[in-house]
Amino acid sequence: MEFSYEVKDSYAEVKADGRLNMVSAPKLREFVTDVIAGGSNRIVVNLENTAFMDSSGLGALIGCLKAARQAGGDLRIAAVQPQVNMVLKLTSMDKVLTAYTTAEEAFGND
Amino acid sequence: MTEVLASRSFRGAAAEDAIEAVHNDLDSLWLDVPFVNDMDQMTFTTAVIESASNIVQHAQPAGERDVELGVETTVQPALLQARVSAYYAKPPFGPMEASTPDEDAESGRGLALIEALVTTVTFERQDGTNTWVLSRTSSQD
Repeated sequence: MEFSYEVKDSYAEVKADGRLNMVSAPKLREFVTDVIAGGSNRIVVNLENTAFMDSSGLGALIGCLKAARQAGGDLRIAAVQPQVNMVLKLTSMDKVLTAYTTAEEAFGND
Repeated sequence: MTEVLASRSFRGAAAEDAIEAVHNDLDSLWLDVPFVNDMDQMTFTTAVIESASNIVQHAQPAGERDVELGVETTVQPALLQARVSAYYAKPPFGPMEASTPDEDAESGRGLALIEALVTTVTFERQDGTNTWVLSRTSSQD
């Protein structure tokens, strides 16, 4: 899995491309923690190229959400693909991690 | 004898590399059986990776040999089945019932997810090997 980020006007966009599984989940957590430590507490995780996520990956997203909130911000997800959407729904975590169609929309009204 | 249309078999050290190898095996398996619809492929792949990850993360060696992971996946006309095994492992520790963790919990959702994804999950222990058998009745398009 490859991670990248870009600081936009009102948020930082993190891209996680590949499979978000038990191997990459701790790396996502570390990556987002570093982005927050760098001064961005409003995070959008763009999942456009995240073809797969398991419960470890979901746990990492929840950990990142908590870290962003502890820093006084929030974390939102965007461009969710079908498999990730299925995992979010089956675990009822779609109510906690709100999915937006695009990264731009995630903090669009804030 | 039930007709097996395609199959894959993996055996190796129960380590992180194994998860990517099993996932690659499954991706190539689906290329052999394009009539299995996307939903079945997606759900079954997720269940198998969850089970294999569970072994890599939690299986404890019974003796001096390291735990090995085995994944045998078969596609039959209306059935997807995987035998996900931990060789040289102690019996599983702790409850084997699925739990519903708090919404801010960062772990503990795997078993419930597996149960939601497949039709049946059974557990066998024989000769020091723990095996979870995942079966999904394939939905027809």
